Amino acid sequence: MRGVRKSFGRLVALDGADLTGHSGEVHGVVGENGAGKTTLMNVLAGMVRPQGGEVFVEGVPVEFSKPRDAWRRGIGMVHQHFTLVPRLSVLENVALGVRSGGHGFRLPYPRIRRRLDELRKLTGFAVADEVRVEDLSAGERQRVEILKLLVRDPEVLIFDEPTAVLAPQEVKELIGVFRRLASDGRTVLLIAHKLDEVLEAADRITVLRNGATVHQCLRADADAGVLTRAMVGRDVHRGVRASVPAGPTIAKLMRVGATGSHGQAAVAEVGLEVRRGEIVGIAGVDGNGQGELSEILAAVREPDSGTVELPDHIGFIPADRVGEALIGSFNLSENLALALVNDSAFRQGPLIRWSDVRARTAEAVDRYGIGASGPQTRTAHLSGGNQQKLVVARELKRSRDLLVARNPTRGLDVSAAEFVRGELLRLCSQRGPSSEFDDRPGIVLISTDLDEILELADRIHVIVRGRLLPVEQSEASRETIGRLMLAGAEGPDGG
Amino acid sequence: MAADGHRLGPLTVSLVALTLTGIFTAGALWIGGYAPMSALGSLFTGAFGSVDRFLSVTLVHAVPLVLTGLAVAVAFRAGVWNIGAEGQFYAGAVAGVWMGLHVGHLPAVMAISATLLAAGVAGSLWALVPALMRLRLGVGEVITTILMNFVAVHLVSYVVRWPLQEARGVFPNTDMVGEAVRLPILIPGTRLHAGFALAMVLCLVLWAVFRFTAFGFGVRAVGASEAAARLSGRIDVRRVVLSTFLISGALAGLAGGVEISGRTFALYEGLSPGWGYTAIAVALLAGLNPLGVVFTGILFGALEGGAGAMQREAGVPAAWVSGIEALVMLAVLAVDQAARRIRPVVLDVTHRREAQEAQGV
Amino acid sequence: MFEAVALTAFLEASVRLTAPLALAALGETVTERSGVINIGIEGSLITGALCAALAALSSGSPGVGIVVGGLGGAVVALGFAAFVIGLNTDQIITGTATTLAGLGFTGAIYQARFGATGTTLTLPVLQPVPLPILSNVPVLGSTLFYQAPTVYLVYILAPLIWFFLFRTEWGLELRAVGEEPAAAEAAGIRIGWTRLLAIVFGGTLAGVAGAHLALDSGTFIEGMSSGRGFIAIAVVVLGRWNPIWVLAAAFLFGSASALQFLLQAMGLNTPYPLLLALPYLLTLAALAGWVGRTRAPAALALPWPREST
Repeated sequence: MRGVRKSFGRLVALDGADLTGHSGEVHGVVGENGAGKTTLMNVLAGMVRPQGGEVFVEGVPVEFSKPRDAWRRGIGMVHQHFTLVPRLSVLENVALGVRSGGHGFRLPYPRIRRRLDELRKLTGFAVADEVRVEDLSAGERQRVEILKLLVRDPEVLIFDEPTAVLAPQEVKELIGVFRRLASDGRTVLLIAHKLDEVLEAADRITVLRNGATVHQCLRADADAGVLTRAMVGRDVHRGVRASVPAGPTIAKLMRVGATGSHGQAAVAEVGLEVRRGEIVGIAGVDGNGQGELSEILAAVREPDSGTVELPDHIGFIPADRVGEALIGSFNLSENLALALVNDSAFRQGPLIRWSDVRARTAEAVDRYGIGASGPQTRTAHLSGGNQQKLVVARELKRSRDLLVARNPTRGLDVSAAEFVRGELLRLCSQRGPSSEFDDRPGIVLISTDLDEILELADRIHVIVRGRLLPVEQSEASRETIGRLMLAGAEGPDGG
Repeated sequence: MAADGHRLGPLTVSLVALTLTGIFTAGALWIGGYAPMSALGSLFTGAFGSVDRFLSVTLVHAVPLVLTGLAVAVAFRAGVWNIGAEGQFYAGAVAGVWMGLHVGHLPAVMAISATLLAAGVAGSLWALVPALMRLRLGVGEVITTILMNFVAVHLVSYVVRWPLQEARGVFPNTDMVGEAVRLPILIPGTRLHAGFALAMVLCLVLWAVFRFTAFGFGVRAVGASEAAARLSGRIDVRRVVLSTFLISGALAGLAGGVEISGRTFALYEGLSPGWGYTAIAVALLAGLNPLGVVFTGILFGALEGGAGAMQREAGVPAAWVSGIEALVMLAVLAVDQAARRIRPVVLDVTHRREAQEAQGV
Repeated sequence: MFEAVALTAFLEASVRLTAPLALAALGETVTERSGVINIGIEGSLITGALCAALAALSSGSPGVGIVVGGLGGAVVALGFAAFVIGLNTDQIITGTATTLAGLGFTGAIYQARFGATGTTLTLPVLQPVPLPILSNVPVLGSTLFYQAPTVYLVYILAPLIWFFLFRTEWGLELRAVGEEPAAAEAAGIRIGWTRLLAIVFGGTLAGVAGAHLALDSGTFIEGMSSGRGFIAIAVVVLGRWNPIWVLAAAFLFGSASALQFLLQAMGLNTPYPLLLALPYLLTLAALAGWVGRTRAPAALALPWPREST
């Protein structure tokens, strides 16, 4: 693949990415969140059409307009989000992937069973045919996905973050499978951001950053430090934050655990203390339990284990702006009212004081410069930046004790992002009129943006697989945090 | 960036839908060999032709439609798919007639209150089963409410043939309730009973609840986005769903009680010609707005009231009205969805404007 | 001897009453397995009945009536599909509208053609056809194998649909669409097309069911579907979306109906409406999980493509 380019609307996903895969090799494609790894592989698998650059298969230039085209050239992909039907059995799911397209009639179950037996020997997987996929663990489901792919006998196999849901032992087994597939003569392309796994599995490595290829090397020549720097970029000078001593503890989590929507442990044994006036930054790749943790901190979710001590007035900026923070069909005032409906200052018995709500909305619009054609504007019609400003305005106001913010500047342009960060700093440094006691709010900032965390946070943790790893003040740098985030199950000393 | 709905307000959608329905109905009538203008004309005069027609026929027909329409509108607003208004109506009718037959000796105010109260409570209880099945067991309420409709219909069959059958024991209906239980007539010389006033008041009250109260706001939020309601509004979604379900059931049950108390004075099978289902059309056309339900309820009351005249004078079978009601529903759905398709164009324009404004900020 | 005769009569009636329910329910099973709930089958049913009546009258043949009835049901279902797939409208509301439209327009056409003259229509009736050896079996023979051809259709369809759903590629694709459309689409299956076929199939069977209603009783009455379309929805749930169990569930409802008639005929004063309500309560219990695990196809009634708020 050479010079591949692709943009989604205003978002540039790929900007001149190169990659050369060789048969009989395991090839690791690494980079941070948003570096473009998945998009590049989607291009190869025929799911996405590039807007620039060329793709060659065995020296022949190809143009894929749909996944079927790639299949026919022997390229198959196992996605991060599984494409299995939970209610159907393993056999049925595999059969779904093998459809002869047009023969339609009798299902060739006996043939599929035989093929599966063969593949089980090749890969060492032991998943039964008749079991329903929904009854399988994540690791087992992934094996079904792989089997589904292998039944079609592909030359090139692409795996997108396959170890994300696996236990350490399963990761080892999977790496073994990759090696076996490669020694069989196939090409295995492995998308990952966990360096230690890539270093163990891959023969060759390509690093992407901001949509372009920044480094290519053989495993033998690879060095963890060089690779990390390539992925994460040069160290940016930390913005200096006037350090004001933090106040008393305002929120505390002790050995808190929570299960995620698929029954897996999303948050495990988390202990955290937040003090007044401080910003606790939690860095991490999405999908490591941030959602559950933020909901627990914001007091909208009960933990399944452990104890929680939280104050009364908590603000929450959720990750999903449109789905969780705002109601698109409501106008500005109504969205602000979401925070005010239980606030006695805006209530008169059962009634809402709408005139007061509207006044507060006008205030916010003015203060934050929210560009809307009028207070009746439906929030869905605002730009992303203005929407976020509305959310920030609303939540900061009710964060008298604590603010839990997830990716507060995601999708904002530079000036808006700076504005929001300024507001966050202002929030935790402002004292009330009576300085008898410390009433500054504390902030928990959960973000995938390393620069943001480095700039704002007093104390930094990294969240990996639902556990918090503290980062020493002195060592806080892009590289260190990056390495921790990318470390994986082995622990901070990866590679 | 996702967007909700479209720029067209609910009123526009309804008016466009009505216009489309009118056009399609005229077309269908013409294909059927009828003269569209005279058919629609006689429908109109049948409903609005004279003051008495309007009051005694149209408005009286409108009462159960407004009440059940309100029930459905309230439920749908919260994202509760209550298709069980028909069953809740009958439950209310059964309870209403039972109570009515037992309190005939009390002064009118008490008798009527007791009857209507029983009807409302029965409707709520009828809605409680599907509500609990949704909240505790995660069972979708669409099928459960439909099932409860059938149970209610058979309950009525049972009640009018056994426990509450008329004293004579000949026909499958109850005795009539006494004078004290009957709703007073609002305008002498007509058949317009106080149920109409009650329906209007309830519409107004519910409109105010949605507009001004915290509870109403919670309902709207939950209906629009459960996630946002829970995470940003810190609203107890389960409580809102349960309350809405019960209120909806109560309104539908009340409709049943009002029919007994105000119009038929006795219970028999087939008391409702499918009002619980027509209510969905009433609610949709009203944009789920309680005040809108007043108008759409009267509109549908006019349709059903004028049907007889249309049959007599223009020879168009009364069954056409069901067809027209269905066309209204389809028109509203189609206009709503079609408007969403226009969305991308509209949004592009908006985006550019917002981007310009944002730069000026 | 009397008991045997009564039992046979009862069973015969049960089977007769089950047939239209089973047909509609089997069709709806396929539809719902693709993820679409079509409450409009009541509309398909009554339309099928009217079309069959008109066709049988003009052709003199009940067989023609059945075919035309099926077509009528299919057309109505096509209209439903146009809205639900083409415009992605809400399935429940569209289905309700389809039923209202079906009931309304069939009533209108019937009244227009045959006027409110009061005389009931007489149609050429479906003759029961005894199957050669099988119909001589005592009791079961006459109940199961001495019925109208449409009943035999039910016997054939149930296992056929079962085989289709669980043993063929197309059936697998259909089920995938109904459970996890995202995965199905990723596998290259066309969601809209699959659902369209499923909906039309269901509508056709409902139309045939309606045709059977009309041509078995020999007449058409406005609204003669009497909610059978809605009952079919309940039957599908009780039958756990499995054609064989759906057939059994339909029989449950059918025999409850037959029992009611029997009790009435015997002059007993049993409160038969309660009996009629029993299958619905049973369905509720099944949904509640008290009668084994019952789970609908995961994507049932959800819009596709999913809309974002």
